[in-house]
Amino acid sequence: MLRASAVAERAGVPTASLVCEGFIGQAATTSTGLGLPGLATALVPGHVDVQSPDELRRNVAAVTVDAVIRNLTEAPAAVGGAVVEPGPNDIVFEGTFDEVNRYYYENDWSDGLPIVPPTPDRVAEFLRFCDRPPQTELGVLLPDKRRATVGNVAVNGVMAGCRPEYMPILVALVEAMADPRYGVEHSGNTPGAETLIILNGPLIKELGFNYEQGALRDGIQANTSIGRFWRLYLRNVAGFLHHRTDKGTFGNTWRVVLAENEDVLRRIGWPTIADDEGVSGGNAVTISRYTGGGVIASVFGNTPVQMLPYLADAIVGKVGWELLFTVGMGVGSQRPLLILSPILAETLAKGGVDKVALKRRLFELARIPAAKLEKYVGEWTNFVPGRPKLTDLVKAGHIPAVFAESDDPQRPVPLVCRAEDLMVAVSGDPLRTNAYAFAHNGILGYPTTKAVRLPADWARLLREARAR
Amino acid sequence: MSGSDGREIYRVVWPRGARTVQASNVAPRLSTLEGKTIGQLWDDLFRGDEIFPILEEELGRRFPGVRFVRYDTFGSTHGRHEGKVLAELPEMLRRHQVDAVISGMAC
Repeated sequence: MLRASAVAERAGVPTASLVCEGFIGQAATTSTGLGLPGLATALVPGHVDVQSPDELRRNVAAVTVDAVIRNLTEAPAAVGGAVVEPGPNDIVFEGTFDEVNRYYYENDWSDGLPIVPPTPDRVAEFLRFCDRPPQTELGVLLPDKRRATVGNVAVNGVMAGCRPEYMPILVALVEAMADPRYGVEHSGNTPGAETLIILNGPLIKELGFNYEQGALRDGIQANTSIGRFWRLYLRNVAGFLHHRTDKGTFGNTWRVVLAENEDVLRRIGWPTIADDEGVSGGNAVTISRYTGGGVIASVFGNTPVQMLPYLADAIVGKVGWELLFTVGMGVGSQRPLLILSPILAETLAKGGVDKVALKRRLFELARIPAAKLEKYVGEWTNFVPGRPKLTDLVKAGHIPAVFAESDDPQRPVPLVCRAEDLMVAVSGDPLRTNAYAFAHNGILGYPTTKAVRLPADWARLLREARAR
Repeated sequence: MSGSDGREIYRVVWPRGARTVQASNVAPRLSTLEGKTIGQLWDDLFRGDEIFPILEEELGRRFPGVRFVRYDTFGSTHGRHEGKVLAELPEMLRRHQVDAVISGMAC
């Protein structure tokens, strides 16, 4: 919304931005990031969603209207001059381990856990694992509109406790973060979704990632430290900070990297997540934001027919208001993720189900009554203006015909627009019959895959790193 | 490097990235809203469809001749078409002779 206001201001048109009470602080910080610290906001008291029509009218008439008039007719108060910031190689502090940690925490540069002090020597170790010079720009990240570079990737990698040889993965992750398709600017949205990183390729074994029991648990350096790097980078370079630009109502801690069990995938002939997303034949990272998820415990059955109803029901159970991304904002961008333990994937494969067939069956089975989907995006959340029926959206050509095969409000409709929108990964305890389903955040963190580029002398560098 | 008490001293670098935008001034403000054209921009969220009519009514009462260009003229400023809508916005504002904008909703 403020991005739209900024465009209008730059076109010479004064704006008033309507901002609910809890978002005034975020608006001020975001405006600075947009380069327009004087962007004018008009307060809307409280939160509009819990106000009766009369209350809303009273609040808007009594408070917002006057603010709009001031915004459009009075010059904003002068904003302080530009802050001079350090350069990428500047030493910003000297001190003991404890002093460095206190300094970084007080400057909002750390997450509250101890960081590894990013000394030039340690940063240089990371840079050896990238063929590109440190000043190489990987993108510009909102909301702060700061430059993502190979150099500041290395700095944050050091701080997160990564090993230098993780550097090629860190660079690929930031390239994915900067891809407009992913939508990093939404990372501070109120549902507080968190990114899941999925790794594919030989690096899983070369760098010692866990892809078996406890695949999503912290405790393995590669999986854990790279997960931490992700959130440090969002903090330090994108600029997402508690109580300012990060408005996650609850949020949760960063997720550790999920590595797929590619031995099993090869054995059963299923493609990897990276293959599915169009980046085949090497190392790749896939990022996507999920509002939540949960385990599907003890899947019972020795045939797909016995197993699939439970898996499909679990996906239904994890997805609710996120259906907005199926039929509303960002139509067709809902991409739920199902993680199967190896034994489940192998049993399905033994029953003759390949990954395409699995997605098709889940597409057919994971359905809810049309009236309930309409409630999620309409009556219960007020997310789709005018609260149209699914049949209206099909008639208007906004969503596929599968959502209006009849006008019976109880007809079952899918959670996604196409079977291939469902994502399926294989990881976790090889011999336990559990699965995991993640609810996706649509365009506010759309699945984005990037190949990992290794330096030319990777084999030698890795040998040296292992010897240290 | 060690300090006087023997503890290691670390010289550390900045973890952030250079800002790519310089702060600039907002557009000049209007002397009055009387007779002006106000464009409505909406992200399709949080009751903008109820709030804009209230604003129209209140502003219309206070400023004779004020005119509004409705939000659906511009398209949603949030969602899958945000990039396109914002790219076209300066031209759309010119085409509709918009003097000022009310943009919502941040909630």
